[in-house]
Amino acid sequence: MRRVAVVGAGMTAFGEHFGLGIKELLPMAVSEMAAHVDKGLNRDDIQAAWFGELTTSDGFPTGILADTCGLLDIPVTRVENACATGNDAVRNATYAVASGAFDVVLVVGADKVRESSARSTFWEWAGLTRDMAWDYPLGLVAPANFALHVARYLHESPATKEHLAMVAVKNHKHALPNPKAQLRYEITVEQALNAPVVVAPFNLYDCTPQSDGAAALLLVSEDVVERYTDRPVWVRGVGLGLDRVMHQHKKDMTTFPPTVKASKAAYAMAGIGPEDIDVAEVHDCFTGVELISYEDLGFAEKFGAYKLIENGVTSIGGAKPVNPSGGLKAKGHPPGATGVAQCVELFEQLRGEAANQVDGARTALAHNIGGPTAVSAVTILSSQRG
Amino acid sequence: MTTVTAVGTYLPPWGSARGRVLGPDEDAVTLAVAAARAALEQATTAGSATAPDVRRVVFVTRELPLLVGGNAAALLAGIGLPDDVPVVEQVGGGPAVFDTLGGAEAGTLVIGVDAAESGPVGAAAALVAAGDGAGVGVELVGRVVRSLPVLSRANGGGARDYSDARLERERGVGVAIERLDLTDKPVVVAGLPAKQARALCAGVPPTLPTTGASAALFAVAALAEVGGGGLVLAVEQGSATALRVDGVPAVRRDEPALLAPEKLTRTPGPDIAISLAAYERAFDAKLRWDAGACDACGTLALPPRRRCLNCGSEDGWSLTPLPRTGEVYTVVTVHVPVPGLPTPYSLAIVQLDGVDVRALVKVTGAPAGTVQIGDRGRLVLRRVAVRSGIPDYGYALYPDAATAADAGEGAVR
Ligand SMILES: [Zn+2]
Repeated sequence: MRRVAVVGAGMTAFGEHFGLGIKELLPMAVSEMAAHVDKGLNRDDIQAAWFGELTTSDGFPTGILADTCGLLDIPVTRVENACATGNDAVRNATYAVASGAFDVVLVVGADKVRESSARSTFWEWAGLTRDMAWDYPLGLVAPANFALHVARYLHESPATKEHLAMVAVKNHKHALPNPKAQLRYEITVEQALNAPVVVAPFNLYDCTPQSDGAAALLLVSEDVVERYTDRPVWVRGVGLGLDRVMHQHKKDMTTFPPTVKASKAAYAMAGIGPEDIDVAEVHDCFTGVELISYEDLGFAEKFGAYKLIENGVTSIGGAKPVNPSGGLKAKGHPPGATGVAQCVELFEQLRGEAANQVDGARTALAHNIGGPTAVSAVTILSSQRG
Repeated sequence: MTTVTAVGTYLPPWGSARGRVLGPDEDAVTLAVAAARAALEQATTAGSATAPDVRRVVFVTRELPLLVGGNAAALLAGIGLPDDVPVVEQVGGGPAVFDTLGGAEAGTLVIGVDAAESGPVGAAAALVAAGDGAGVGVELVGRVVRSLPVLSRANGGGARDYSDARLERERGVGVAIERLDLTDKPVVVAGLPAKQARALCAGVPPTLPTTGASAALFAVAALAEVGGGGLVLAVEQGSATALRVDGVPAVRRDEPALLAPEKLTRTPGPDIAISLAAYERAFDAKLRWDAGACDACGTLALPPRRRCLNCGSEDGWSLTPLPRTGEVYTVVTVHVPVPGLPTPYSLAIVQLDGVDVRALVKVTGAPAGTVQIGDRGRLVLRRVAVRSGIPDYGYALYPDAATAADAGEGAVR
């Protein structure tokens, strides 16, 4: 297989874009990406596109991308893989270039969560991902879906609700310098612990906000990379992992096996291990999920995640900064865009151009976990060709 | 003369000194199932080791959940009876229950339920012996059927209260009892306020928790407190039926300690849609609390599934009853408003006893947020949701801690 590089990245700010529809957000992200390709991009060079969108705002996703971005003469494929949609779109596009089928492809992720009332969103998502007879009528809304894991994790591990709060505090702080982030204000551990309960053990600040946004990447083959930049970021590894869909069938709920499988595949493809990761964007839709993911990704030993957050290891300036962008928690979480935007952040980190730069970052990891905690996608990027 | 083998009763925990009220996940069917299961458990312990012989079910209430669509299948599945047992869904009160019990065929399970939103609510069931089974004899003494609809509720209309207690007492109950021409005073009267009942009885009758269909059977159950059999009367506005019960029946009470109703938030929003195709496929396993057992290796799956979780066989499975007790593996409490569901509510994953099966269920009978990992409880039929107007029944965890407070004699543990 050929090597694949990211040569352009762009995104809209994440937030409540009541004034912008999906048909505005998509061309905004694609144009920003195109404007940031070092040596310029002629749109006619784009040979195919992969579009990650969880929901179907304003209908037929692939057609809307092609139509609104002036890409009517290329094949467009929609990827939908719950909250792992973004990094799975990257994965599919990577294979298309690596195989030799295409030299220049576009990856876009977007979602327009705030098209429905704040109150009904979680419930609408539940309707997309639950067994209609057995789980849906129980009211297993998205936060409950993850809280079932985190409640058991807090029971078995030394981690406490204070550690969950520390994750929120860290990610809010990281979002401050990020102009694309939705929640750019600092919070304290006390504020997080005393905030209203959403789904116990999660309080308000343990949860991602509801966000709109779009993000775009340009992936090219090693054969043409020099046409676009002298400083490419290489896609070194991709992986996808699945698990049993129903929670009652998951043996050990203190871990997310899809993450273990996806990261194992990505590490193997990259020929590296977790110790080689300098910076990571980890799926922190809920604070406790970031902690569990430290262990599943190999950053911490089993039930040792609390030490990383306690000791500042995963803060900017620590040994392994996690979510320098602010993460889903503070940057925002339009599901289809999330994974793509993680790669936008890491593209900038690996080129030394990030708003919240991690010094000397050479290799980075992006991670999503989603659906009924049954799918994960991991992407490993590096400034080193490998 | 019929023989009553056992009586079972059920009261929800929620309410006040004025009476019990429905939980957010209860209706006449779930109440009926709870009382019927208590009666059948009592019949099993009192009599032979084999399951009681139930040949017919008569379900008497004025709060049938579905008038069109029917409640019989849910009732049989929840009680655990075969789907070929005839069910009579009867609109009626206490006198109707005694009319049925007095003339019941052998093997009839008579269930009386009060489930009005305003309360007081409760359910009681009596099993009539099949053949010459043990029990107490019950004989119809007399009945009078008259009309004085002081309280009324027409089909599709709201409830109306004429509000004239003296009229009701004198021309309703008063005349009805006079017409019955009883030879001795009753020992318990169902359907009247405690003070009025006391005035009619020999001795001080026990106070009953309800006044409608279930009250008649609560009255029979109360003979244990009276200390012997005697004349028992069920009245309803202008009508009355008298039964003579010649002893104290075996009673099992599922009557948890009183809890103040939770303050629940009801959020308007989109209807919780139902797929009737999915409903029909899941019905038996979901309402009977059965797993699919792999025909090849015996591994249990909840819900049943084509491909075995263990051996991968797709050759078939058979429904197998699941244990009804277990321990909480993990639990969370939803506080955020959810359209169509009263909040807050707790969701638990329960490890069932003695099998490799976990279930995702709601918690019932205890305030949200009070159940912890490691707590034990039993699985009971509840109305999980109302979807597009259709009651969607399934199982919920009733924590032991919530029932332990009232685990007196005969209480279901
Ligand atoms: Zn098998």
